Amino acid sequence: MHKLRTLLKKLAGAAEHISALLLGSMFAVFILQIVFRYFLDLPVGWTVEWVTLAWLWGILFSFAFVIRAEDMIRLDIVYSSVPVPVRRALDVFSGLSCAGIFLWTLPDAWGYVEFMQIERTAYLRLPYNWVFAIYIPFHIAVIIRMLLVAWSGLRGPAEPTIETPNTTATLEATRHD
Amino acid sequence: MTDPFTLAMVLILALAIAGLPVGLAMMCGSFLYLISAGFDPSLATETLLQGIFNSYTLLAIPLFVLAADLMNVGSLADRLLRFCQALVGRFRGGLGYVNVVSSVIFSGMSGSAVADAVGMGKIVITMMTRNGQYTPSYAAALTAATATIGPIIPPSIPMVLYALVSDQSVGYLFAAGLAPGLLMALLMAGMNFMLAKKHDFPVDEAIPLSQFPAITANAFPALMLPVILLGGIYGGIVTPTEAAALAAAYALSVSVLLYRSVSFAQFWETLKTGARSSGSIGVLIAGSLTFNYVVTRENIPNVLADFLTDMDLSRTGFLIAVNLLVLLLGCVLEGGAILLIVAPLLIPAAQAVGVDLVQFGVIMVVNAMLGLITPPYGLLLFIVASITRQPMGAVVRDIWPFILVLLGALAIITFVPDFVLFLPRQLGYNG
Repeated sequence: MHKLRTLLKKLAGAAEHISALLLGSMFAVFILQIVFRYFLDLPVGWTVEWVTLAWLWGILFSFAFVIRAEDMIRLDIVYSSVPVPVRRALDVFSGLSCAGIFLWTLPDAWGYVEFMQIERTAYLRLPYNWVFAIYIPFHIAVIIRMLLVAWSGLRGPAEPTIETPNTTATLEATRHD
Repeated sequence: MTDPFTLAMVLILALAIAGLPVGLAMMCGSFLYLISAGFDPSLATETLLQGIFNSYTLLAIPLFVLAADLMNVGSLADRLLRFCQALVGRFRGGLGYVNVVSSVIFSGMSGSAVADAVGMGKIVITMMTRNGQYTPSYAAALTAATATIGPIIPPSIPMVLYALVSDQSVGYLFAAGLAPGLLMALLMAGMNFMLAKKHDFPVDEAIPLSQFPAITANAFPALMLPVILLGGIYGGIVTPTEAAALAAAYALSVSVLLYRSVSFAQFWETLKTGARSSGSIGVLIAGSLTFNYVVTRENIPNVLADFLTDMDLSRTGFLIAVNLLVLLLGCVLEGGAILLIVAPLLIPAAQAVGVDLVQFGVIMVVNAMLGLITPPYGLLLFIVASITRQPMGAVVRDIWPFILVLLGALAIITFVPDFVLFLPRQLGYNG
């Protein structure tokens, strides 16, 4: 059990580095694009494809493997004001509903991603099933995470699974406003 | 209840209230709609993937988040504050003005109210409360109120979100925010003036004018950032999205080369934080993309537009109704969600009654920002209350005067279109 926990911790750390790398590469390629277009007068198309690819993978990868439950943007006005047993009931309801719907739609989502192998991107000539491949781990991760939410609701966690917006973690996650 | 759209709406609301992340709730609702209407559920997957992969404009969001984080880490914020203090710190209630002016300058660099409050705002709160000069609740309230200017004065992340759903030019939207943002700052400075007199706020020791050139020189590279950004965008050199990358690059190089205040480890940490925020906002966007597909498929905006046309609502009546609706929603919904979910529903109706869509964007964004400081669900209130360790009630009590003046600004923005549209028209906008 202890070994498993260390391994999971290591994997989580690695996942965080990968997400930082994706954002970093987006940033660097953008700068390259500006330099190529405006200073060297050499417009390049692959940069646009790379940055949108990094954006798509960055979002789905981070959500699946990096972001903690309390980082996610949610409407916790009701959730944070009800007593713990009600929260647990809400966790079971939302966890099971979400996991159920995602499980039901998994085969169709898989089918769509697989089907997209018939097309390739304009510049990098990547088959679209590769470009969209990250969607499948995301979809499966949502199912697992939501089952865990429902499970902790059933079993009763030591602490509530979701913090109220007063925590700094929520603040960090919502810097876009 | 068998109507698939109603079913989807009920599920989204129920899941969101039950505390599921809003983006996932919208995806669940969209999937349920497609399943119960007998369509292929992968249509939602397709909309999500294609939508994110093809929306180049949205890339401005992670990059502006990164830029703001770098400015906060790289001591650009401290230097700017010192400059503002030398500029306006000498009057009664001086640090209040410092708070306003620093927000104006910082908002010319970052596109986010929250980044403003947690970065610059945090430092200014410490300054204001250091010697017990101002009550922590006043410092907190003023900081939250002035942070709302962040996304009104360009650049602006919420304007990018609005551009996505309304198909308007990011450049014109940015330009349209400048005058309203300055008006908001002016009104809040006025309120600070009145409160300073009433409560006899302290007068700080003035920084001698002889030091002013040195302080300005120290802050100069940071002060140049808004100029570079706006010059780049309106000079046609960079797109607003590229400007976001440029802002981040500039903040990074100034902090590393000039101020020597950011190490590689810190930069890497900033990237990690940025990636986390991008992921959480990204899934909200992804959810709203799938939900917008459902809404469009059901032709909801046009139904709503027809309904409003039938009610024979005047332009003024419509705008008042929208302001009330969005202000109310802002009390319970988060700003990004309002712009991504509610704005698309209202846009066809706004067009039908002859409201300019760029002006409408500014109205929506100002409303969404007001939502951040109105109780009970005001994200900025939570932030400043947690920075100052004040009870929400105390902060709320002190923020009312500022909400009042901001509502005044909103009225001008709503009913004087020329005030908003003057600048975009100078830049070639035909509206």
